[in-house]
Amino acid sequence: MSTVQPSPIVAPMTAEWRDFFALTKPRVMTLVIFTGLCGLLAAPGHVHPVLGFTAILCIAVAAGGAAALNMWWEADIDAGMKRTRHRPLPAGRMDPISARDFGVALSCGAVITMALAIGWLAAGILALSIFYYAWIYTVWLKPRTPQNIVIGGGAGAFPPLIGWIAVTGHITLMPVLLFLIIFLWTPPHFWALALFVQIDYSNVGIPMMPVVAGERSTRHQILGYAVVLLPLTLLPWWLGYTGRIYGLSALGLGLGFLALSAHVGLRRPLPADDAMTPEKRLFKYSILYLFVLFGMLVVDHLATTAGA
Amino acid sequence: MTQPMTPTELAAFRARQKSRSRALALVLGALVVLFFVISLVKIKNAADLRHQMAMTPPAAEPTDSH
Repeated sequence: MSTVQPSPIVAPMTAEWRDFFALTKPRVMTLVIFTGLCGLLAAPGHVHPVLGFTAILCIAVAAGGAAALNMWWEADIDAGMKRTRHRPLPAGRMDPISARDFGVALSCGAVITMALAIGWLAAGILALSIFYYAWIYTVWLKPRTPQNIVIGGGAGAFPPLIGWIAVTGHITLMPVLLFLIIFLWTPPHFWALALFVQIDYSNVGIPMMPVVAGERSTRHQILGYAVVLLPLTLLPWWLGYTGRIYGLSALGLGLGFLALSAHVGLRRPLPADDAMTPEKRLFKYSILYLFVLFGMLVVDHLATTAGA
Repeated sequence: MTQPMTPTELAAFRARQKSRSRALALVLGALVVLFFVISLVKIKNAADLRHQMAMTPPAAEPTDSH
């Protein structure tokens, strides 16, 4: 009798368009599109609506391309985490080569279109943002250091900067402040999530802050970032780049963010079965916070322009 | 070696392939329209700029007082 085992039957790779769409992380893309649009609408000057739409489309497609490359690289990690194991690659609905090619095609297409329609500065920063997320964050930082999300947060901070440049054609202090706001918002936002999914991260060996430095240190750092974020969000008002609508909104929203962060940051050691309600509340609020803050930036700009 | 697909599997495979092809055709069609419109806008912007420059009187040449 032969001892040779029959070859496993390989299921055909029949990825649907929905699987390709899932590779682009549509939920993350929502925030990218929104902040990019706010940067574009709050910038001084005028851009033709078609070119404005193209700029936002390029930002969105580039974010989708970078996300696809991230999923291609992290397929084995995603397979080990409850939150991500149903993604197209770990679930076996797509072959890795298709995911990689899809990511490269979206990234290159977005950068080339941005260069031809908007300009080389916007396209260069768009290319940098893709490289930052797909290589610096995903490949280099994430598996190596608990500071991954701190430095990697820069990847998500580019859209308002690019949106602004699409209108003005150059970089000034205001879009850099918008970049810094998202940069400093990312650690408390992400660590709030990491606190309640840290078992997932430790299972796959990703050195997220709660896994490496412990919960106590992470909580203190969340509070620290929230303290620094509040005056930073008020800087555009103090420097005269925005009006009272933005300033008072930033103050109110920032105090709320600080209060929720203090609740998370000053919590005593918790039992293993804790529901992590304050952490989940901070995570949800942080998303709302960024949406409203950038929304108010646009409202303020439109009100100022209308009043001028 | 892979086993041949059953008629049901083959039908499902073809349906997925068809839906992918339709989505790709839609995206390509949308891109053609987008690039066409971008071209029109860029041409119009350039024409407006040229018209504006033609209407602006040239700055007076600095005169040498010596």
